Amino acid sequence: MRPLKIGITGVRGVVGETFTPELAVGFAQAFGTYLDGGRILVSRDTRPSGPMARAAVLGGLMAAGCEVVDLGVCPTPSMQLAVVRAGAEGGIAVTAGHNPSQWNALKFVRADGLYLNPAQAEELLDIFHQGEFAKATWDRVARRVEEADAVAGHIETLLKSFDAEAIRARRLKVAVDCCNGACARLIPRWLEQLGCEVLAVNDDPTAPFPHSPEPKPETMAQLRAVVKAGRADVGFAHDADGERLGIVTEEGTPLSEEATLALAAEILLPRRPGTVVTNLSTSGAVDIVAARHNSTVVRTPVGQAYISEAIVETGAVLGGEGSGGVSLPRVHPTHDSAAAVGLILEHLALSGETVSAAAARLPRLSMVKHNVKVEPNQIYSLLQRLRAQAEQEGRVSDLTDGVKFETAGGWLHARASNTESMIRLIAEAPEERSARDLVDWARDRLKR
Amino acid sequence: MRAIPTLKISISGVRGVVGDSLTPTLLVRFAQAFGTYVGSGTVVIGRDTRTSGEMVKQTVVAGLLSAGCRVVDVGVCPVPTVQVLVRHVGAQGGICITASHNPAEWNALKFIGPDGLFLGPGPARELLDIYHQGEYTKVSGAEMRTVEELEGATDVHVRAILDALGPLPARERKLRVVLDSCNGAGSVVTPRLLEALGAEVFTVNTTPDGLFPRPAEPLPENLGELCAAVREHGADLGLAQDMDADRLAVVDEAGRPVGEDYTLVLAALYVLGREPGPVVANLSTSSALAAAAARFGCELTLSKIGEANVTEEMRRVGAVVGGEGNGGVIYPRINFGRDSLVGAALVLHLLAESGQTVSEILATLPPSFVVKEKLACPSDKIKVALRMVEREYAGYPSDRRDGVKVLLPDGWFLVRGSNTEPIIRVVAEGPTEARAREIVEQVFARVRVAVTS
Repeated sequence: MRPLKIGITGVRGVVGETFTPELAVGFAQAFGTYLDGGRILVSRDTRPSGPMARAAVLGGLMAAGCEVVDLGVCPTPSMQLAVVRAGAEGGIAVTAGHNPSQWNALKFVRADGLYLNPAQAEELLDIFHQGEFAKATWDRVARRVEEADAVAGHIETLLKSFDAEAIRARRLKVAVDCCNGACARLIPRWLEQLGCEVLAVNDDPTAPFPHSPEPKPETMAQLRAVVKAGRADVGFAHDADGERLGIVTEEGTPLSEEATLALAAEILLPRRPGTVVTNLSTSGAVDIVAARHNSTVVRTPVGQAYISEAIVETGAVLGGEGSGGVSLPRVHPTHDSAAAVGLILEHLALSGETVSAAAARLPRLSMVKHNVKVEPNQIYSLLQRLRAQAEQEGRVSDLTDGVKFETAGGWLHARASNTESMIRLIAEAPEERSARDLVDWARDRLKR
Repeated sequence: MRAIPTLKISISGVRGVVGDSLTPTLLVRFAQAFGTYVGSGTVVIGRDTRTSGEMVKQTVVAGLLSAGCRVVDVGVCPVPTVQVLVRHVGAQGGICITASHNPAEWNALKFIGPDGLFLGPGPARELLDIYHQGEYTKVSGAEMRTVEELEGATDVHVRAILDALGPLPARERKLRVVLDSCNGAGSVVTPRLLEALGAEVFTVNTTPDGLFPRPAEPLPENLGELCAAVREHGADLGLAQDMDADRLAVVDEAGRPVGEDYTLVLAALYVLGREPGPVVANLSTSSALAAAAARFGCELTLSKIGEANVTEEMRRVGAVVGGEGNGGVIYPRINFGRDSLVGAALVLHLLAESGQTVSEILATLPPSFVVKEKLACPSDKIKVALRMVEREYAGYPSDRRDGVKVLLPDGWFLVRGSNTEPIIRVVAEGPTEARAREIVEQVFARVRVAVTS
């Protein structure tokens, strides 16, 4: 199985195998062609292939007639805000987000700072595949790579979005694990601006990832130890490019990545009821929390572009995904772990309650996830088969993104991964046993 | 006639028009191929001032990093500086991003081996094989190395020249020199070198913006601005570089271009006066060089056209100086490649030590004029035309190593097909300009017959 995925979330692969400089150059040319020139901002995370991919992207964009601004290593949401602030035509994030170090990827951002929506992404892919790119002649080609900083502007925007005075007054002690990723350039600075005492680990952007950059309880052992030893009020774990957030309570207990959005909802909705946007695979905890606070939930297919688009469409107050990504439209309608940090710290400061007290109010549901690796050419026929089976057994399916159906007290979602050649099975129920049964049911039918 | 392709992939490298044939994909692949060829070693890269230089550089960096190379980026600098730096840092190779004298819309990659020389025909063919086979070394992220931007690369070059030649001898009045760098790579270092030597320096076209203020070749007809500046400043001489600063032309104290084939003659006069030894030039070199060599009892060997052929012959005979009639001076003690900075230092030293003017020095040599012309000729007719010229001049001694060179009683001519365009080039020398032009016309008459037959 070749580790390459070209889809609506961009292009992603393993460096040294499928993610080649030619591929990156080609996609950059396609994006420059799609935007018809203009200023493009380029950011990257800290993986060691970043400079290679960056150079390929800059070369491709320049050849297509774009002016390029290199933001260096910074979180993707910093770049997204900078695109809007600079009035640029778009941006490219060189990051494979939560994927391991050997991966890299390109993600494409449009002038409003949001990811290309599926229709736009399809168009970009068509241009890439057609291979006829805009070519700047010698008198048009950009002569230099501009450099700019996006982190200071990001912090400025964040400071305007939260009650910084209240947070400073509390002198919170915050532990943070940046996974030596792009957040190392943002989060410690942001926390210092909020008057926090910062206990940072893995905050060296030149060092390799110390663990998987996916903020899940199993990668938060070091952070838990820091929280406990330093008696911190809270611990935050970040992915490589500043989209996903994992939380450790003041007791040193890691919360599931599924709890990040639910906790944000539990904090925000009492003050600001409204619509919450999330994807079909995210825990039903958010539905229960929303119902509690007179709010509604809108579900989209999996992928940040869908979330952002639905937030804008519905005027939602909150968005996010079970992966730990939280979008706060009052900052910008896209995943931003620094904004989620601001929201949580603001709540701690204003309410005086602890993280564990807030988390204790979240519904207790059990989620079981299982990935079934399949040949790329079989993904969709297998999903069709699962749908047929479900309907045969009288289960009504939601086909927005793969197959999803609800059972008494639970649900099962089977979908094609956006990033790897696999089908993701996710089930949730009040009891773990029931959730596991649902996953087993689907797995058996996929394997048959 | 169908359009002539602008892409040229050859043993000299890859060259094309930006926004047309020189695509980033092509550039990335060539860089990957070179990275593979040098075994993922250290590669020095530098570029001239062309507007497309930065774009090309980024693609080259991506390809080299992907192939596992460590990249040392010396920024905008002359081609010979890259050659010096390859040896200075002990790199496995170098890539120059320059289309030398081609117009602004062109760019190219030229490949340098670990010895600081451009790849010879053999290694260049190996590189092309790797490129065409398309299977390049691809390292994982963990094995990927870095790009280092090397500040002060040009200082290394300047120091090497000063170490070898020293400053100009003290004079009552400093030598006054006007420099025209064509807004090319020479702009960033040549004024500093000339001042360090002890000259008083005036400049025209030394803004390194890649906008060509004149055609890049330092031919007499392109040097009007420089000639005027020499007269205006009452300078002792004018120096003109091409875009990547490997070639040099001289303007005399009266503001007259002396012809780029005299650059090597002047340089050789200085070198041979201090360290007599073998001299090498190509077949298309002024007989004035032979006279200069003879003055010091030194032997002149003529090689096939092409820098690689000249350097190879220089190595074989242990030459103390060599080069080409296009203004390319090679002085192996500093740099085994055409180097306009070295050329400039040698010419200034000659003037300072002799106390003579440029025209006084040239007056000591027998008069000779070199004329270069080209004529369109379909590629398939080139051979026929050369054979016809050869038959016509069968009564004279000739040299057929590279095209046809015929030695006439009062001069010579060399006629050859271009490697890159469907044209025939003729170089002729005679005792007067009129005679040289007459020889060219006679040859062209033969070629025209062949083309229309």
